[in-house]
Amino acid sequence: MAAAGPIDTTLLAALLATQLPFVAFAVILLLTRSRPRFSAGLSLAAITVSLLSAGFLLVRHWGLARPLEYSTLWVASGDVSIRTGFLIDPLSLLMLAVVAAICFLVQVYSLGYMAGDPGFSRYYAFMSLFAWAMTNLTLAHTLLQLYIFWELVGLSSYLLIGFWYEKFSASEAGKKAFVMTRCGDVAFFLGVLLILLHLGNLNILDLNGPAAGRLSPAVVTAGALLIFGGIIGKSAQFPLLTWLPDAMEGPTPVSALLHSATMVAAGVYLFARLFPFFSLSPTALAVCLAVGTVSMLIASTMAMVSRDIKQVWAYSTISQLGLMIMGLGAGNYVAGVFHLTTHAGFKALLFLCSGVFIHSFHSNDMVAIGRQGGRRLRVPMACLVVAAAALSGIPPFSGFFSKELILGALADLPNPLWVAAGLLGAFLTTYYTFRLIFIILFPAEGGPETEHSEDTRHRHDGGYLVMASPLMVLAGVTVFLGFGEGAIARFLTAPSGAQPGASHHAWLPYAALSLCAAALFLAWFEFGRRGAAQVGFVERIVPLHALFSNRWYMDRAYRRLLDHVVYGVFSRLCARNDQKVIDGAVDGLGQATAAAGGLMSILHAGMVQYRLIVVFVSIVFMAIYFFV
Amino acid sequence: MSIPFGYVLALSGIVVVLGMICAVARRNLIMILLGVEVMLNGAAIAFIGAALRWQQLEGQAFVLFIIAIAAAEVSLGLALIVHLYHRTGSLNPEDYKVLR
Amino acid sequence: MEFTGFPYLTAILLSCVAGLLVILFVPGENRRAVKWVSAVFSGLTLALSVTVFLLYDTARGGLQFVERAAWVPSFGIQYLNAVDGFSLPMVLLTGIVFFTGVLTMWELENRVKEFYAFYFLLVTGVFGLFMTLDLFFIFIWYDVSLFPMYPLIAIWGSTRKEYGAMKLTLYLLAGSALILPAIIFLHVQAGGATYDITALMRPGTFSAADQKLAFFLLYIGFGILAAVWPFHTWSPVGHVAAPTAVSMVHAGVLMKIGAFGVLRVGMFLCPEGWQFWAPLMATVAVIGIVYGALVALSQTDLKYVVGYSSVSHMGIVGLGLSTLTVDGLNGAVFQMFAHGIMTALFFSAIGYIYERTHTKMIPELGGLSRIMPVAFGYFILAALTAVGVPCLASFWGELMVFIAAFKVYPVGAVFAVGGLVLSALFMLRVVQRAFYGPANEKFAHLTDVSFGLGVPRMILAAVIVLFGLLPSILFDVIDTASVAFIKGLP
Repeated sequence: MAAAGPIDTTLLAALLATQLPFVAFAVILLLTRSRPRFSAGLSLAAITVSLLSAGFLLVRHWGLARPLEYSTLWVASGDVSIRTGFLIDPLSLLMLAVVAAICFLVQVYSLGYMAGDPGFSRYYAFMSLFAWAMTNLTLAHTLLQLYIFWELVGLSSYLLIGFWYEKFSASEAGKKAFVMTRCGDVAFFLGVLLILLHLGNLNILDLNGPAAGRLSPAVVTAGALLIFGGIIGKSAQFPLLTWLPDAMEGPTPVSALLHSATMVAAGVYLFARLFPFFSLSPTALAVCLAVGTVSMLIASTMAMVSRDIKQVWAYSTISQLGLMIMGLGAGNYVAGVFHLTTHAGFKALLFLCSGVFIHSFHSNDMVAIGRQGGRRLRVPMACLVVAAAALSGIPPFSGFFSKELILGALADLPNPLWVAAGLLGAFLTTYYTFRLIFIILFPAEGGPETEHSEDTRHRHDGGYLVMASPLMVLAGVTVFLGFGEGAIARFLTAPSGAQPGASHHAWLPYAALSLCAAALFLAWFEFGRRGAAQVGFVERIVPLHALFSNRWYMDRAYRRLLDHVVYGVFSRLCARNDQKVIDGAVDGLGQATAAAGGLMSILHAGMVQYRLIVVFVSIVFMAIYFFV
Repeated sequence: MSIPFGYVLALSGIVVVLGMICAVARRNLIMILLGVEVMLNGAAIAFIGAALRWQQLEGQAFVLFIIAIAAAEVSLGLALIVHLYHRTGSLNPEDYKVLR
Repeated sequence: MEFTGFPYLTAILLSCVAGLLVILFVPGENRRAVKWVSAVFSGLTLALSVTVFLLYDTARGGLQFVERAAWVPSFGIQYLNAVDGFSLPMVLLTGIVFFTGVLTMWELENRVKEFYAFYFLLVTGVFGLFMTLDLFFIFIWYDVSLFPMYPLIAIWGSTRKEYGAMKLTLYLLAGSALILPAIIFLHVQAGGATYDITALMRPGTFSAADQKLAFFLLYIGFGILAAVWPFHTWSPVGHVAAPTAVSMVHAGVLMKIGAFGVLRVGMFLCPEGWQFWAPLMATVAVIGIVYGALVALSQTDLKYVVGYSSVSHMGIVGLGLSTLTVDGLNGAVFQMFAHGIMTALFFSAIGYIYERTHTKMIPELGGLSRIMPVAFGYFILAALTAVGVPCLASFWGELMVFIAAFKVYPVGAVFAVGGLVLSALFMLRVVQRAFYGPANEKFAHLTDVSFGLGVPRMILAAVIVLFGLLPSILFDVIDTASVAFIKGLP
């Protein structure tokens, strides 16, 4: 339904929330690049308005029973008409609020973190570009519109990961991120085309509605799996997960915003968005569940051996996204979405705290930070512990509530394998999280130095308050959000009218908490206790250590695939084909013509007597022809 | 005719071929000209035989034309050869290959 | 003689010719005067093109701005110009590329007058081909636009210019050697009275067998110009050898003449032949898309990369044309426009860099983004357009083509969409190797694009963004022609 007549406040708020950041981006990029403080101000102003609008929308439509839709025609060509607009329903409003809030907090934080950087204006321009793309993605009302902003989010990710482009590793990481997510996007796009072909339109409400039920199961499964391919790429699930740890080359606020809370969560958001559609195909859900499980476990193992703070949180993000997908794949919509919300809060907090450490000690290495006195920074350390507790699922923090929901959903499944995997994941998560905490809190003496991070370009103290206040806000959210679980669950399920299922597995919280405690004890035993060797049990098993720290050799496999197969075989084959075969034929044709000409010219070249011979011979032949 | 026409034609043909060979096989510009002359004479013989065969006097008249024109052409040709010899000092057709 | 209203199309042609004549009279030593005259006349041409675009009545559609005059009545040759939804974007494209090309060569010092004279002649031929509806004139304009390419590349070009010029000219002449017999064949089979396309278009004029033969000849002949695989190898060599403005016209406009020729002559006159050969067209197009991207992966010369990227994009155009649907046609024509602008921006940006650094080889460049950020900005905008980022012009053309292709040739569409990954791979690799990295001390003293020199690049960038955000400006125009065309097919 198109908005007509006087503009209503919902539409206005939605427009302000989504389009203002683009204005900021354009103005900064074109006009104010030489005025960094003004650029930052513009960007912050835009995101503040976005946040206020998002909050207004959330409050106004709390308890929304039926989704609101606004759309207008953007492009019409032949049979295809592409509309653009907004879909206002509980999921999109919740996600919009989360996105706007985290964008705002990160932009405030960046005032301090990125102060003094020569690319300050460019940074805020790209931040605004991202905010625009992400908010539009959240409120997209057709799958095509979502795809368009999905790609734009990927673009801003590329620009921000490779922000310090003088470093080869940064530009390489940006390229890797873009190309890997592109692989997923290709699958997503093919899914979109398939659905367009069979359903006739791409409106999300229609996809989730009864019309999709009339499609053949094969088409639904194929479409769902292809779209899930896109989710694998964007949310860094197995097998496209190696781009996310490399993406840590970007500035830490970028990692906090994009690669923990919002952009990678867009994959899970898409899953939740199309949850009714995906539910039509049990096969697809089973595949999603399996992929989520594998990703969760693999990433946790990689986190256990990493010494780089940001890499640990990157692997943790992959793992938690896998957990969310497991929740959704198990059929529990609220579980997945709630964990998405809480995870955004505490993961961003983890990254931002780590950012303070990195900024102060000019190193990403947790051992070095610990040894240089990381625990002396009290606010970041406290917030770090709070967030770590939330991540591990320790009550009363938000992570406990959301993890319980997911584990409950997994326990509802007939096969106990899934809940066992979930519990194993919880154990590993607590272990690696507190490994990091203890290494920083209780550093051991001695041990080798490791590499410095290149995060050393901004040595100015860009304002302690500016960097600390977002931390405290997020910590507060982490502490209190869990108690809003019931309200949020009711909000999310209001349109569908389904009751949020309560978990009936009384043993589950105790099992989870005891595993948590066990992991914490193990971590304390290995890392926290006085005189501990600070070597994990995994690190003692050398082949396992090699496997985990080489990311299960996935990077090597991809590198080999790229270098040997794509470059070595196909690209070289086509290039040689061009040079030798096609050009050979063409140039050969030219040379043959020239040679033939040379041959013919023998008849004419040389002395006059050769020509006389030709004349006489021709006359003889003509005479024979005519007279005999 | 006391001599069969065939023999006259054969003689004419032999003379023409000899003229062709001389024009083509000798490495001297004057010899080319000579060969052409001989070919013209061979043609003249053929004309005379034909005139006798068909008892038409035009054939003989044509031979007079041939002789006159051959004379003119030879003088022109020799003038050119003399000029060329002054320019390049050579009478060998192998040296005249500018127009490949 | 029949001119409806002010003869805009002839005015466009005349402004090119008048510009050419005025340039010829300006003394060659006064280079500034030559450049300013060129700028004025190309600006006039651009203004006229934009006017025609804006004045086109999309509600009415069909052929507008018709101009008709008999030329050689005994052979049936007429001077017949008109624009419809297919040719209007092409006219606009040519105007934009023409003007920005003239401005891009502002720093030329060597034999400026001859360069601009040949350049104006080239563009006259291109405009004429887009506007004409007489088969014979199509051939004439094709050759008029072809022959100035040889001196332009051979004299003012760079890498292997004689070889490139010779190869390009001979290859394209070979193409015209296939087109001319087809044209004459069609003319004779229709009774030998007229070359007018609108008259020959009537169904039933040609038998199915005639159409199949003629379409095949026309497809190969024009396809050579459109860099259809495997007849594409003249294109990267030509791109690399040509000077900047010539590359802009070559890749931006000339290659579109090929696709447009297939559309205007082949598809309009031989629809059954088109339907018969469509699967072959699609196969070759998909091969071209993937092949072009794969070869671009191993190139070390910036212009070669862009050249092979053009081969890949023209494959998308070919795929759109082979789907026999409205969406495919719309996507193909839109992609022609978008790719033209994008590739003009590419070459314009590369041209600036080459002027300053005197190298196009990627291993020798590197670290330029810190030294000349604005030039880099233009390049990366073009690169992102090539990769198919939404809200930049090329995305919409590709989207429509892929939608149509998925309907008709699903397997081919899968490969074509997969080509998106390859294009991202090679484009970003080029951006990284040539521009990112620590600042190169060799180039540290170079200056960035000044405002004046940046004008043509800004225009091109603005057009890309404009049509990326508001593609319906173009789609409304193209729709008027494509819907009517597909509906009128037998």
